Amino acid sequence: MSRPTFLRGLRIVDLSMGWAGPLATRHLADMGAEIVKVESCVRFDWFRGWEASQRWIDDNEAEKHEPFNGLNRNKFDVTLDLSKRRGRDLLLRLVAVSDAVIENFAGDVLPKLNLGFEVFKAVKPEIVMVSMPGFGSTGPWSKYRAYGSTTEQAAGLPHLTGHPEHPPTMVHIALGDAVAGLNGASAMLVALRHLKRTGEGQFVDLSHSECLLPLAAHGIAEQSLTGAPPPRLGNRSRHYAPHGVYPCSDGRWLVLQVQSEQQWQALRSAVGSGVAGFGDLTDRLERADELDGAISEWCARQPAADAMDSLQAAGVPAAAVAASKELMADPHLQARRFWKILDRAYIGKHPNGVAPYRLQGGPLEIEWPAPTLGQHNREILAHV
Amino acid sequence: MSPRKDGPGALHGIKVIDLAGTVATGYCGKLFADQGADVLLVEPPEGCPTRRLPPFATGVPAPEASGMHAYLSANKRSVVCPDHAALIALAEGAALVIDDRPGRDRPLTLGELESCSADGVLLSITWFGQTGPYRDYAGSDGVCQALTSQIDWLGEPDGPPVIPGGYQAQIIAGMTAFVGSMGQILARELGNVSGPGHLDVSVLESNLCFSEIEALRGFAGKPTRERLGVNRFRATYPLGIYPCRDGWLGVTVLTPSQWNAFCELLGFDDLAGVERYQQSLERLQDADELDVRIQVRVSRESAADLAKRGQALRVPLTVVPTMDQIFDVDQFVERAAFADVTHPDLGTLRLPASPFRLYAMPAAQGGAVARLGADTEAALRQAGCAS
Repeated sequence: MSRPTFLRGLRIVDLSMGWAGPLATRHLADMGAEIVKVESCVRFDWFRGWEASQRWIDDNEAEKHEPFNGLNRNKFDVTLDLSKRRGRDLLLRLVAVSDAVIENFAGDVLPKLNLGFEVFKAVKPEIVMVSMPGFGSTGPWSKYRAYGSTTEQAAGLPHLTGHPEHPPTMVHIALGDAVAGLNGASAMLVALRHLKRTGEGQFVDLSHSECLLPLAAHGIAEQSLTGAPPPRLGNRSRHYAPHGVYPCSDGRWLVLQVQSEQQWQALRSAVGSGVAGFGDLTDRLERADELDGAISEWCARQPAADAMDSLQAAGVPAAAVAASKELMADPHLQARRFWKILDRAYIGKHPNGVAPYRLQGGPLEIEWPAPTLGQHNREILAHV
Repeated sequence: MSPRKDGPGALHGIKVIDLAGTVATGYCGKLFADQGADVLLVEPPEGCPTRRLPPFATGVPAPEASGMHAYLSANKRSVVCPDHAALIALAEGAALVIDDRPGRDRPLTLGELESCSADGVLLSITWFGQTGPYRDYAGSDGVCQALTSQIDWLGEPDGPPVIPGGYQAQIIAGMTAFVGSMGQILARELGNVSGPGHLDVSVLESNLCFSEIEALRGFAGKPTRERLGVNRFRATYPLGIYPCRDGWLGVTVLTPSQWNAFCELLGFDDLAGVERYQQSLERLQDADELDVRIQVRVSRESAADLAKRGQALRVPLTVVPTMDQIFDVDQFVERAAFADVTHPDLGTLRLPASPFRLYAMPAAQGGAVARLGADTEAALRQAGCAS
């Protein structure tokens, strides 16, 4: 099956590696843009793996790593050695016939290769370039090193999660990467729209850390509005009750967030006598310990999946906490055909999650799996 | 290179109508509004849902008191629509209409949209999508984060998982919906597609971006992420947030060179020499013990100073600013990461600016929030309806 042709005719040179940049270009590739991913045989995308043992090389492990294979379908792949004149020339010829370039190197990498927006602009005056360093391309931190964890920390976000007796609590090992990827795709689409309307290209940059500030907006707004930050209350809320994570009879956990009186009435009908003595929101917030005890008692009598089913049947936002290895079997995702099985050299059949937007009721098709290193050298480089 | 200072915005000429007013639809609309699109927030007489979301100026809910609503609604117009005919008139020429309905009771059908905007796109952002067994389930940010496995990794191994604060799952969905709908609008402007379209975006699937790779590892029979403790993630160690004399230090140390430089920074000569500590996974085995040493050592220092000296040694360190420190972080000040949003009742709020910078056609920085229905009369007159 063919992927959609929404963005047909747009060609983007993709110098990015890892997670953020490749996620940005995966969105564009899924919608039909031509993404030419540039790697080198020596410096390939580090999401192909970060070992270099002889056995790892002999086993072609660089072609088998899930992170790479999950982020690069529907893209073309060429290998160029940008430190050599020939490789650099070919890159510039490729840029000359493209609409945009995207990169997420640390700030000092492209200048060392004598590459950058001004160089690309010289060969293609209306080029769009999206640059995605950890802290942005300007300011005193522009050369700072960062992982997706560093950028979450710098955005202050951990101060808004977790229990007061614990340190500020991170929500991911690399939150900044996926979020910057979504922002990178957004930024590219906005700049391409401007290009197609006005003929004007431009430099675009983002800071992964600033991309995380919207996730902290509720805390920043509270600080700005009241002069004090929201307190960290673990899984409790100052505004809603019951609100928490409760253990069930099978050792699994149930998340419950009752956020309206309607949902509270629904919970009362599902849980029954154990919560009959609790009243309005003020009463429930005042007696939150007691209320949590009553909910826990009800949860302890049944498996988490059953608790979720009966609460949801009544209209209560509740869910059993899933483990990652169970996601492939989730009935909802299966019914929506979220996981698509692809076939690829070296690994054979393997799944990919489809694009998280569907048109006219169906998922967007994936045309081909992540490319092997240099798979499209002949096809692409012959034309430049 | 410095950005151009003002302009109409790269999305000038695009009309967007938000019929839902949730955090997810509101953030999607905000991304359009900040780049110059004309975004109409169509509200019921009592106001849209985000007006009832904390934080509140006085601690008490009121339609003009929500800081979250102010953040999401700057640069949008607020219209209270009297009837369906007026809604059709308002939607004339709209590139995008956003709702939050799973299938039934759609305030504007695709057919109705087509009659007033031939190439209009209808975007539904719901918790679980337009199809599937959970379609009509009740949702929340934490529910979606539970079902995507994201919270399974957070917290103490023997305690409950931790729900991330705020509206993070919905913000991610709003951003995802922006990408999908911008793709559709651009496709129509490029002539690659014509006619109406209906986009289905769910908060659930949008948030799988954080766990899909783990799921693929599970499918391949490899171990997947487990809950190891607060700020503990295999296989990176040290990774965490430590209290210093004047604030919090964020640490991520992965490679041997980063570890050795980190030891140099803290004066841990004995640890730098331990052969097996060159491997992050081996350090993770001794994390409890190593944490005590790091903790004691950094508690006497300034977080900002350690971060700066660490970065000079190419170690990814940072301050972890509290909400009252965040506006003064030098990098954020230099890049104008925050901007003033003005609200007729709340005054001026300092809030995150548009996260990406277009140097030739900049986004709005900050902006004004409309009171409930402030633009009703003008919008209806413009649409040819008497109000």
